[in-house]
Amino acid sequence: MRTNFKNALAVFVLLTLCFAGQLRAEAKQPAKMKASAVEVKMIPSDELTLPPEFQVSLYENLIEQLQKRAVFPRVYRDGDRNAGNAADLITLECTVVKFNKGNETLRQVTTIAGATSMTLRCDFMDKQGNSLLVRDITGKVRFFGGNLKATYDFAKKTAKVADENFSSGTSGS
Amino acid sequence: MISRTNAIVIAVTLFFCGPLLRIGHAQQAQTETQAVQVIGLAGLKENTKGRLTVVNGTLRFVYAKGNVAVAAASIEDVVTGKDSQRVIGGTFGTLASIAAPYGSGSVMPFFRKKVDILTIQYRDADGGLHGAIFTMPRGKADPIKKELVAQGAHTSVPNLADLIKNLTDSREEKR
Repeated sequence: MRTNFKNALAVFVLLTLCFAGQLRAEAKQPAKMKASAVEVKMIPSDELTLPPEFQVSLYENLIEQLQKRAVFPRVYRDGDRNAGNAADLITLECTVVKFNKGNETLRQVTTIAGATSMTLRCDFMDKQGNSLLVRDITGKVRFFGGNLKATYDFAKKTAKVADENFSSGTSGS
Repeated sequence: MISRTNAIVIAVTLFFCGPLLRIGHAQQAQTETQAVQVIGLAGLKENTKGRLTVVNGTLRFVYAKGNVAVAAASIEDVVTGKDSQRVIGGTFGTLASIAAPYGSGSVMPFFRKKVDILTIQYRDADGGLHGAIFTMPRGKADPIKKELVAQGAHTSVPNLADLIKNLTDSREEKR
């Protein structure tokens, strides 16, 4: 009888701790900004010389990952005329801050050298051009895969950041 | 035995159809190569293998399940580059390099082939910007780029030979 009471008490304490942790985590989360569409701008390569294949790969992976995450019901490409009609449209502009092309052969032989990495400043802006969120996001490939895989890594992280900070305002997202 | 009338009919038919056949051949791709679509073409998975051709003002990528065409006039930028890739790629190549005995797998990354990269940027009907990357055997990207530019595509990196020719022409005009 006494053992049962002890077990019940332990379970109760554990459950209380779990709920308290969850509530604290929820309280810490900032309110998500509302946006129903995003227009992804092409990554410029003026300031830092970015090879064209990286430029295109970054852009295409960004669009693919944002569509996959489904944070925004509509993802528009740079220059799409339909973007102008979208309500709550935000624009995503990324500029290269740091870029290291790396070397796939060196990466596989040494495992410590030859990593490809890139850091891009991602600026989420509203229709008027005001910054809503600015983040420096890094994409890298350390061991497996070609150099372009770093662009996939970057796009995945960017889509995650978008997911954490924006919502379409519709149920289920 | 073919009668004389039949022979004449066949001869006349061939006489009129011959030029048509030649036109058909002229419309065939001047530049055609095996290529891998790395990323970018709508509806295609990454690293899809196929054949890349430039024909009648379009860049056409033909793969096992169909083909994708991009009008040369809609291409805003076509650029070539050089890179190398593993001869044995993918998961098998990676696993083989790890599992090879006595550390011999570390030599595998040296078995690489040189490839050309062709990168294009083009606009769709709504004005949306698309990008696509292709890899192909060494020396094949430049002819494709040249053909695309000749058929209406734009490039931010003009051919060196064209640049020299333009420079020479402008100098001669000044004289």
